[in-house]
Amino acid sequence: MKNLFLFLVTIFLSKSLFAQEFDFFEPKATIGGYGELHYNNEKIGNAASKSIWDFHRFVLFFGYSWSEKWSFKSEVELEHNFVKNGQGELELEQAYVNYHHSDLFGFNVGIILPSIGLINEFHEPPLFFGTERPVYHNLIIPTTWFGSGASIYGNYNGFDYRLTLFETLNSDKFSLSQGIRPGRMKGYKTDASRFLYSVKLDYLNFPGLKVGGSFSFNNAKGDSTNIDVTISEFHAKYDANNIIAVFEFGNINYNSGELKASRGYYFDLGYNVASIFDLSTKIIPFIRYSDINTAAETLSGGDNEKLYHFTEWMIGLNIKPIEQVVFKIDYSEQTRKLDDRKSKFINFGVGYMF
Amino acid sequence: MKKLTLLFLLLSFTVFPQDIKDNVNQALKNCFGNNIQFEIEKVRIDKSIKNDIEKTVGQKFFSDEIYFYKINDNKSIVGYALLDNVYGKSLPITFIVMFDLNGKIICSDIIKYREPYGGAVQSKEWTSQFKGKDAHSEFIVGKDISSISGATISVNSVTKGIKKLTLLIKWLMK
Repeated sequence: MKNLFLFLVTIFLSKSLFAQEFDFFEPKATIGGYGELHYNNEKIGNAASKSIWDFHRFVLFFGYSWSEKWSFKSEVELEHNFVKNGQGELELEQAYVNYHHSDLFGFNVGIILPSIGLINEFHEPPLFFGTERPVYHNLIIPTTWFGSGASIYGNYNGFDYRLTLFETLNSDKFSLSQGIRPGRMKGYKTDASRFLYSVKLDYLNFPGLKVGGSFSFNNAKGDSTNIDVTISEFHAKYDANNIIAVFEFGNINYNSGELKASRGYYFDLGYNVASIFDLSTKIIPFIRYSDINTAAETLSGGDNEKLYHFTEWMIGLNIKPIEQVVFKIDYSEQTRKLDDRKSKFINFGVGYMF
Repeated sequence: MKKLTLLFLLLSFTVFPQDIKDNVNQALKNCFGNNIQFEIEKVRIDKSIKNDIEKTVGQKFFSDEIYFYKINDNKSIVGYALLDNVYGKSLPITFIVMFDLNGKIICSDIIKYREPYGGAVQSKEWTSQFKGKDAHSEFIVGKDISSISGATISVNSVTKGIKKLTLLIKWLMK
């Protein structure tokens, strides 16, 4: 009897001691968020310039971890500070259950972000140059691109992969001026008869560098059209030794309709000049060059392929007193290929994340 | 019965998840070599020291206690290690920093990463950047510590976490 008692005590002790030692996890709710206030001044061609204040994005992150493996994550966004008559947007941008088995394998399911391009999944204002997101991430790879879906992810030897099964695009909404952007369904009662399939691979084992690409296919469907869409993109970002450099290239092919291809690229180069003076605030002047054509190839050709083709030079400054807060100012000039029409933009703003 | 108890003790080591313990042992051996022994002590951090360090670095300690390892090669102490946690976006990141007798970092490792994003902070290429740093080093992400696109929160969090330990080890070695 005494021995049995000893044995049971041992079982109890070993279970509690060995299981609890180094067990740092506790079930926990997390809040976070980001936001950005912008001043936008634009002068398109010879038209009079106009300027606005825009609290562009206010986003709250809420998550809960039940265990080390099972968690829930969500993001709710209010765009343009106010929702009325189709102006402004209230969006559930992320809401998914995540299972993290190990570094090699995990999955999530719910409202997710497809892993396409550098910014879609990592879109907080301190993470990119320019007051507004790069025009490439508006017109070629539209961000924030969210919707119903599931993905499998993992990391092996510095290679980060993600395979995504995502809601379809609505092909009726594709346009020469905006490519696939208007075709996003944003998780709203999307046609469940088809999917967008996406695969992403990044390499991360060179310090400061992320380099990779993604390929996506979707037999997109609307009420009146049905178009095969392929999205290929390459991305690279270097952030070390006070240098930040970014390059992204994207190409979208459409197999029917007037629009045949959308294409664009941009590069950024910035340097933290505050490091010369040993300041802890980061002061990063940067330049950006973009070449964007949402109608790079069309069925009818000719001017249709020049009307939406423009190049853009931008110079700007990001000032980060701390990593989570950024003040931004930039000036850019766009030149339309069709007629050399010039548009000028002055933007400044403040952004934060936590 | 005693045999059974011993057997159970042995089994419990292998059956229950011991990944953190195993990873720590492996990290210590990788850093100091196979012929080492170590003592573990769960140290309560002095309140005023804790406050000072938290203020200097701008990050709170995960808890009031920390795992302190003294590593010896059978003859004398050859180094120290501290096992601690920082929060990533929402989950703890468990990491270890190994020091020489002067408090200079000789190795650092992520022992357990639990977040779905930002796992690249575990790479040897990233963690090896801390080698040679001590309490006087800068620890500025983007300058002497390279960032990782897509792992910004973890990178900043772990960098501050390691900086805290370089300050703490000075106090522990006294």
